[in-house]
Amino acid sequence: MTLSKNLDDLKFDKKLKVAILPSFTLNGLDETFHVKCSEIGIRYQSYVADYNQYNQEILNPESDFYNFSPDITFLILDIRSLLGDYFYFPYSISSAERKSLVKEKINELENLILQFKNNSSSKLVITNFNIPSYSPNGIIETKSEFGFHEMIQEMNKSLRNIAKSQNSTYVFDFNQFVSKYGEKNIFDYKQFHIGDIQIAFNYIPYFAHELMSYVKPMFGINRKCIVLDLDNTLWGGVVGEDGFDGIELGQTPNGKSFVEFQKHLLSLWQQGIILAINSKNNFDDAMRVIRDHPDMILREKHFASIQINWNDKAQNLKQIADEINIGLSSIVFFDDDKLNQERIKQEFPEVLTIEIPNDPSQYSSILTNLNDFNVLQKTEEDTKRGEMYAQQRQRKQFENTVSNLDQFLKQLDIKVKIKKSNEFLIPRISQLTLKTNQFNLTTRRYQEEEIRKFSKDENFAVGCAQVLDKFGDNGITGAYIVKKNGTSWILDTFLLSCRIIGRGVENAMLSHILKDAKNNGIEEFKAEFISTPKNKPAENFLLEFGFKKQDQFWIYNLNNDIKSPNYLKVEIE
Amino acid sequence: MSNDLYKIISKVFSISESKISSESGPANIESWDSFNGLVLIDELENHFNVKFTISEIIDVKNVADIKRHLKNHNVDLNG
Repeated sequence: MTLSKNLDDLKFDKKLKVAILPSFTLNGLDETFHVKCSEIGIRYQSYVADYNQYNQEILNPESDFYNFSPDITFLILDIRSLLGDYFYFPYSISSAERKSLVKEKINELENLILQFKNNSSSKLVITNFNIPSYSPNGIIETKSEFGFHEMIQEMNKSLRNIAKSQNSTYVFDFNQFVSKYGEKNIFDYKQFHIGDIQIAFNYIPYFAHELMSYVKPMFGINRKCIVLDLDNTLWGGVVGEDGFDGIELGQTPNGKSFVEFQKHLLSLWQQGIILAINSKNNFDDAMRVIRDHPDMILREKHFASIQINWNDKAQNLKQIADEINIGLSSIVFFDDDKLNQERIKQEFPEVLTIEIPNDPSQYSSILTNLNDFNVLQKTEEDTKRGEMYAQQRQRKQFENTVSNLDQFLKQLDIKVKIKKSNEFLIPRISQLTLKTNQFNLTTRRYQEEEIRKFSKDENFAVGCAQVLDKFGDNGITGAYIVKKNGTSWILDTFLLSCRIIGRGVENAMLSHILKDAKNNGIEEFKAEFISTPKNKPAENFLLEFGFKKQDQFWIYNLNNDIKSPNYLKVEIE
Repeated sequence: MSNDLYKIISKVFSISESKISSESGPANIESWDSFNGLVLIDELENHFNVKFTISEIIDVKNVADIKRHLKNHNVDLNG
């Protein structure tokens, strides 16, 4: 706790303003957040409302809370204070009265959320309610007409529906948090009566850990790829020594642990997490297991990169990152061998290297406890990512069979669909600005709310590009924002996802914008290149396109021809 | 064991062990507020494997009181 006061976090350029509005005493959460943010390079500022002041803070548009203008707000409520005496005496009233009580409480909450949304652009995380294990009705609780537990379930359900209908509003499943760690551990009567503490001290760090899941993706610091070892990680034993039939996978207790672990990995893959292999093995021995072993869950098609050889693990890991073109900070490394873990930790501290116990039955819970894969919204592109990377491997193989690049690009049958921003596209456009590092002219990061604001503003043009080719749909992979300043337009944001760089899509997209400017009689079109350690691939783009440097801006003469690659089919929607 | 007690107090309130005596309490240790007081109780309960009653907790005015209550729970601080 005192640690947080001594943190030197002024050096961080990522900044986060967090507001905590609790209905009970929650000391320690603020300090824990501070420490956890520092650990991942975020400068933390906070506003903690006095306890049980959340109503006043939200309903008064002039409150200190709104003046603080948080980026994210945690509204942490408890069921006792909400239900008052009815928490203890739910059966002192009829089931109809219980129903209308719940309705009234939900209306209050909904009103609170709407007021909040009217007055603040902060993201909102609201906790749902713990359903106590106890009921005065005992074993017939589940038979009661709209009983005590059902009341709280109904409130949780309504809360979820309200959050679904609101942008940037999330429900943290506190009820599930309590089941995970146990009601008897979380709720300590002694702490409750001495200080109105409803989450015992020992569990505050766990609570903070779960809430950090919302913070990490705001900065695009979530992980995208899991790099896996094989022997004693995906199966038991060493295939080179124990042989195809000798490894443990499937039937034995250890074998079942590996199957379970693989199933969890596959379910993450289905949600868009990329998988890759980094293993010291004879390629043929290992591939035979992956291809033919009856109990293998993960197969060749699930892996975006396969490095099975006798090279150094760190070198292999770098190879994987290059091959699928993602940053090392997006990678999680799973390897049972302590030496390998150390090697990667030292060579690439930005990789999340998991410490794995010498017991495969624990692998699944370690994996499912990571809060590094979360995203605040899931776009269609996200869930298809695993598949898209498999297609990417096919494209590479195709590229190797075609003699030159022009030929390759022509035969790819690339189609670019340029779309104006709309409600469905806003989350993806925001996500691209948050995540894209390499082909990004200005690296300006915009949350969903900001993209929504620009999209409604006629002084801005916000658009994106969907890219398709003969191997499939790459999804929305390019985005731009133009700031219109009378007869002068400025290219505020222009970016392209790294996996489609070098196919002329960037030229098609910029041509479209320039033609639009020309048609609107614009006199001056300005662009910027803001150099970062990562955006070298975009460095010469403006020059090569025909822009001329003038002070800190790049200017395009709209009297010049605006060219677009002829092998691309461009559709404007 | 008395050493353990002082170590825990020193950790919870971020003060050096040499500054702690039987007379130390909320009155003379600035960081000993009601919340940190509860944190101390929690640490002591875990370390010595005891459960204090609410009466014992609110009765604590200084370190001597803590020693007395620990003794009642059969914790031998001289051992």
